[in-house]
Amino acid sequence: MPIHILNIMHIINVGHDIFNANGKLAEKNKALFDNHGVFAINIMGAIGSGKTTLIEEAIKRLKGRYSIAVIAGDVVADMDAARFEKLGVVAVAANTGRECHLDAKIVEKALTQIDFGNTDILFIENVGNLICPVDYELGEHERVVVVSVSEGDDIVMKHPMIFKTSDFAMIHKVDIAEAVDVVPSTMERDINFLNPTIPILLTSKHNDTSIGQWVGYIESHMDKR
Amino acid sequence: MQKKRALQVHEYSLACDIFENVMDVSRANNAQVVKSITLRIGKLAHINPDQLLFSFEAVAQGSIAEGATVNVEPVSPSVECDCGYITSADEYMNETKTSEDDGVEGDGKNANSDTSLINLHEYMSLLSCMELKCPACGAIAKLTGGKDLVIQTIDIENRD
Repeated sequence: MPIHILNIMHIINVGHDIFNANGKLAEKNKALFDNHGVFAINIMGAIGSGKTTLIEEAIKRLKGRYSIAVIAGDVVADMDAARFEKLGVVAVAANTGRECHLDAKIVEKALTQIDFGNTDILFIENVGNLICPVDYELGEHERVVVVSVSEGDDIVMKHPMIFKTSDFAMIHKVDIAEAVDVVPSTMERDINFLNPTIPILLTSKHNDTSIGQWVGYIESHMDKR
Repeated sequence: MQKKRALQVHEYSLACDIFENVMDVSRANNAQVVKSITLRIGKLAHINPDQLLFSFEAVAQGSIAEGATVNVEPVSPSVECDCGYITSADEYMNETKTSEDDGVEGDGKNANSDTSLINLHEYMSLLSCMELKCPACGAIAKLTGGKDLVIQTIDIENRD
């Protein structure tokens, strides 16, 4: 007589939140920052928007007063990390390999290479992208979005969520706005529309005042740590 | 079971996370086959369900979850005001559109008042570009939630 194996179907309630796993790790990172008095800023923006340059310019003006470390997120390569190292700060290349964003786990891993006892400011440069980084908290105190005029003045309305969820916005490369036929105030108006309370700064690498304001913004938020 | 991660899209890595979780639960429950999986996906999460399902199919190949049906339950965000007013964003959009349609002839572009019929990307940009005014007190309301990605249930077959 053949043996019948009874197949039983059943539904298992899982309720596993995929993003929450990242959120929990982000909280862990944040606790680490807070325990060591590290101010962490997540810099997001499209490829070529000027994230690396803006971090470099800030480092130049801040490194005399603060100990600085940088996590440079990139799909591959460590060119950005090398640029930061040239400025004499600790730089860790966080290669995501396949990902379009940094997540809390990649940051946690990169953090093992940073001496927290000797760090005041940690810049986390996200992978160039205006979409994917939005859904991933890293444990940062401030979320900054950089958008350059060369991306076109409709770029803001095409990517609403990043502007809605950031703490600070920079419209960068304003010195070339005319050449690329963009009016920065249009971008400013769109950001304002999406997020009426977000502070917006117009910047250019060649305008010392604007870089000074960017540095001022960082320093005025360091009490968040 | 470490799958080769070759593609470079957001959805692929999420599919890998889902797959690993499904496998963990299946092993814990002595499953022979995974018949179906139900996911809750927030309408404001940057996830394209088609890409996610396609990626999951690829990841699950050769496993007990190969060919499993993946059901997606979309989760609406909420429109919330400090005055205590709260409603689902879907309803809010439908109501706002209806009241707009009453006054204006309408260009026909957004004439479809059923938000379930518009795709997620359209939904996201429509909603996030709307000025959210609280219908109860007139203040600016907040958009909350709708960013989930949750494995709700897994339907397995096992031998007892």
